[in-house]
Amino acid sequence: MKRLVAIVEDEAAIRDNYAAAFLREGYAVRTYANRAQAMSAFAARLPDLAVIDISLEDEPEGGFELCRQLRALSAELPIIFLTARDSELDAVSGLRLGADDFLTKDLSLAHLIARVNALFRRVEALRRPNTPDEIVRRGALALDAERMQAQWDGQVVLLSLTEFWIVHALARHPGHVRNRQQLMDAANVVLDDNTITSHVKRIRRKFQSIDPKFDAVQTVYGMGYRWVE
Amino acid sequence: MSLRLKLLLLGLATLVLPWGGCQYAREMESALREGEQNSLQAVSQTIAASLQGRTDLLYREAPPPADAAGAPPDENAGHAFLHSGPYDLKPLALTAAPLLDGYSDDWPHDPSAWAYFAKDDRHRFGILTGVYERMLYVLLEVRDEHPLFDAPGTNPLDPASFGDRVWLGFQDSQGEERQVFLAAPGPGAVTARRIETGEYGQQSAPIEPRIRGAWQPMSHGYRMELRVPLSMLGNGFGVLVDDRDARGAEPVSYGTLRSDDLHTLGRLIVAAPELSSYLAQFMQPGLKLAVTDPDGRVLSRADALAQLTGLGSETPMLARLYRRFVDRPGTRALLESSAPIYDRDHKALIGKLEVTQTANRWIRLRDHALMRMLNFSLSTSAVAVSLMFAFAAWLALRLSRLRQASESALTRTGLVTSFPDTDARDELGDVARGFSTLLQRLNEYTSYLRTLAGKLAHEIRTPLTIVRSSLENLESEQVPPAARTYLERARQGSERLNAILIAMGAATRVEEAIGSAERVSFDLVRVLQSAVAAYRGAFPERTFRAELPAEAVVIRGAPDLIVQMLDKLIDNAVDFSPAAALISVRLRLDAQAALIEVDNPGPALAAQLEGRLFESLWQSRAGADSRPHFGLGLYIVRLIAEFHGGEASAVNLPDGSGVRFMVSLSR
Repeated sequence: MKRLVAIVEDEAAIRDNYAAAFLREGYAVRTYANRAQAMSAFAARLPDLAVIDISLEDEPEGGFELCRQLRALSAELPIIFLTARDSELDAVSGLRLGADDFLTKDLSLAHLIARVNALFRRVEALRRPNTPDEIVRRGALALDAERMQAQWDGQVVLLSLTEFWIVHALARHPGHVRNRQQLMDAANVVLDDNTITSHVKRIRRKFQSIDPKFDAVQTVYGMGYRWVE
Repeated sequence: MSLRLKLLLLGLATLVLPWGGCQYAREMESALREGEQNSLQAVSQTIAASLQGRTDLLYREAPPPADAAGAPPDENAGHAFLHSGPYDLKPLALTAAPLLDGYSDDWPHDPSAWAYFAKDDRHRFGILTGVYERMLYVLLEVRDEHPLFDAPGTNPLDPASFGDRVWLGFQDSQGEERQVFLAAPGPGAVTARRIETGEYGQQSAPIEPRIRGAWQPMSHGYRMELRVPLSMLGNGFGVLVDDRDARGAEPVSYGTLRSDDLHTLGRLIVAAPELSSYLAQFMQPGLKLAVTDPDGRVLSRADALAQLTGLGSETPMLARLYRRFVDRPGTRALLESSAPIYDRDHKALIGKLEVTQTANRWIRLRDHALMRMLNFSLSTSAVAVSLMFAFAAWLALRLSRLRQASESALTRTGLVTSFPDTDARDELGDVARGFSTLLQRLNEYTSYLRTLAGKLAHEIRTPLTIVRSSLENLESEQVPPAARTYLERARQGSERLNAILIAMGAATRVEEAIGSAERVSFDLVRVLQSAVAAYRGAFPERTFRAELPAEAVVIRGAPDLIVQMLDKLIDNAVDFSPAAALISVRLRLDAQAALIEVDNPGPALAAQLEGRLFESLWQSRAGADSRPHFGLGLYIVRLIAEFHGGEASAVNLPDGSGVRFMVSLSR
């Protein structure tokens, strides 16, 4: 049975292009132009993954509302925001609503597919029992690459996909400086420096909410970041 | 020149008012003076006319008898006194009575008034005569090597007792010749005696009490002072000196009396005492009248000039000050006028009337008017000047407020702040409102420009996504190899377009980052060290030199932003410097700020760039590469510098070899 990807996007050309790409990858695709259409369909059947634009036809924030409603229907359903809006505020609001990733439309289709694949892998991994050999441990940090889950002192840190990949790239080789380009490659994104900076900030904040003394992600000014144990 | 000063000078122009007033006062004064002169002339002519033919007053000469019509008066005989003979005496009009003491110091010093008579070198005397009120005063100075007094206590008629004697001869009012002699037994009072012959031929010498005098010896002679009532005297008058070298000796007689019968040779030309009372009736304070003979000798005068002079001292200070500005130098304080006095037939001149009047009266009049006028116009000027000054100050204040507001309205960051509203209804208010409107429009335009890049990036993103996703889908399709080249080119083009979009949104994202940045204390030196080390790796074709202080420089701020700012500065330096160029990064400290300087060799900044280099979307320098430039890099530098309480600036290096960008960060 093919996994069903729902694409909610008001721009027909983009919607169809994305749909074609997902179809090519072997996914079943349903596309919706607005929130009403999408919600009525979701009420009948939940997709396996949703790609949502924020502004939907006459609703500039329609995507957020849709995300909230969808999350109410299912806690595990992977949700990806894919939008032309790249402001920090939008990203924060999107992730806070429970989206698994927040992507801008300058992301290439290949990167988008890679992320969708990764999210499905995570869904599968979460269903399977733990396989400890897949876990990277760095002091208090435990990274489960399969489930794309990070733990700090045994507590789960809720990271978006991009954030997880950044932490993963840093923690795999502690002490090595990863520059921004390397982090972008690892996260399968094309972002500018400020976005990387704000991602790192968000990562630190999430770890600090568990351990206020968290200081493992260090800035190497002018170069990048490194993981310190 | 400031507006205030200009209006003040303009206000001073009202001083033309008092100046004009002074001119007017001068005009008025000369008109007054002229009028006064004319009236004085009229007065003098009137008085002179009233004195016409009054030779009885002027010269004590009886008018010709009315019945002498048959014998036409001789032209000359009628006024014989006008043709003075050698023995005639013309007394001075004295202003005070001399004291009869035999000394000359209370007589006026007037050498021309003396008459001298001489027998020979050793025998001569000088005579000075004067009239005061109804008295004739005579001063005699007789040259005599051996002054000799009468023998004291003897009969004055005894020739053996005779010393030096002086004879006075005169005609009485009836024309009879009379004589008195003056003798004294010693210095001091002298007695006058007349010689009378009794019924039987016996002679006596009774004292003539109306004639008083004093006798004093002087070097080489003696001096005698006499007083004779004018009522005793007619026209003829003479003096004879008997000079004896021993008592009883035959005298050397000389003088203005015939020595045989002692009849007068000359006349006394003097005004009647009534003349002065006649003149007195015309007197008023500040006026002086004088009647002179045709030669100018004063016959009589009445003087009340001094009665007004005291008024000058009461003049207030202010008036005296004004007077200094108004009075022309050399203006006389006295008015003079004269009129001829003719004889009865209006043919011959018998005298002159001189009238003098002080100017005090109209000077006071003028001063009064002048003072009122000057006070009025000066206070008008003062009020006008101060009003103008106040107005100018107020205008200047408003203008400077307007200037300050317009200066601060457009901040260096290009932000337009609010402009103070004004409800002033005048032109300045219009200007302020015009400014306000202009700034409002500018503000709209600026904010439009500011958000243009972001909006544009956002709007382009969607079609670009269509292009890119279509291209990516196309790559998965069966595309002939020949078409794949174009596909690749289209993909590259869309990637570049994407890079451009990211660059265009950079400023907006920096602004966002600044908005959410947290300030921490950090060591600027360490950050710069680390960053410069990174640039060495990132730009191997440039050389970097870091000139940093040895000790830590801790500031508060966002190190990420500082590094980002430095990135932009280094990007800029790399873009505008040749390969292998040395780029210096320097940190200097002053009292309030840490100063980051980035020097790079390369083309100098054009003058027109000054102040605009750090503005959004300002790019006029051609970079060395083909990367997209939106002039956002330096704008980001400025945003970050301002976030740190500093500012960004750029100058050409002094030697012209390159450019220095400077960023100050408050400590």
